[in-house]
Amino acid sequence: METLLRRIVETGATIAVIDITGVPTVDTLTAQHLLKTVTAARLMGAECIISGIRPQIAQTIVHLGVDLGDIVTKATLADAFKVALSRTGRTVARITHP
Amino acid sequence: MDRIPILRMGKYLLVTIQVDMHDRLAMTLQDDLTVRIAETQARGVLLDISSLEMVDSFIGRMISNIAGMSRVLDAETVVVGMQPAVAITLVELGLSLPRVRTALNVERGMQLLRAATQSEDPIIYEDDGARIADGGDGSSPP
Repeated sequence: METLLRRIVETGATIAVIDITGVPTVDTLTAQHLLKTVTAARLMGAECIISGIRPQIAQTIVHLGVDLGDIVTKATLADAFKVALSRTGRTVARITHP
Repeated sequence: MDRIPILRMGKYLLVTIQVDMHDRLAMTLQDDLTVRIAETQARGVLLDISSLEMVDSFIGRMISNIAGMSRVLDAETVVVGMQPAVAITLVELGLSLPRVRTALNVERGMQLLRAATQSEDPIIYEDDGARIADGGDGSSPP
């Protein structure tokens, strides 16, 4: 949490992508911590996108009653990155050769 | 008694907290700011808390209150430069400031404020335009 927040200050980032693809399970504490991190980042002026939530974790989050509210969640890191690019007014396009 | 200066920049008010906030100072700021917003008809308030190293629940609530009061007085509030430690403290205190806009630094905050207040007028025009267009479409068949 602190590491992310410190890096946001250092880099002046406006968007942070938290990819949890490698996280197999989540308990209440972890989910709550994730939520706190996202809220703290927002307070500092950076928006968080969570990506790679496994079906198991999605079930856990809902069963635990953790409210992700208006936090943007994306299926894959690529999707999250796409959102991050479009939020910052950038796009990745295929070059079409004439 | 010392006060926190409130600077006017066109349509906006700039408040930079550069001293340790104590409760009396916070209350004075609340009073002063609301009076100034009403006086100057400000459209936005930029609250720079980059020098604020520590917050307690009272100061946290004050930030939230200031934003709420400004909104009632038709001014957008942007809180800028919050330190990681302060952000963590506020979250742990359960003060997530849900309706307050935030930015990393004053420059970004000003951009946000401009975008937020400038979009007000064009949106109204656009809405009017859309309504006129709709009305035109609706009235054209008969």
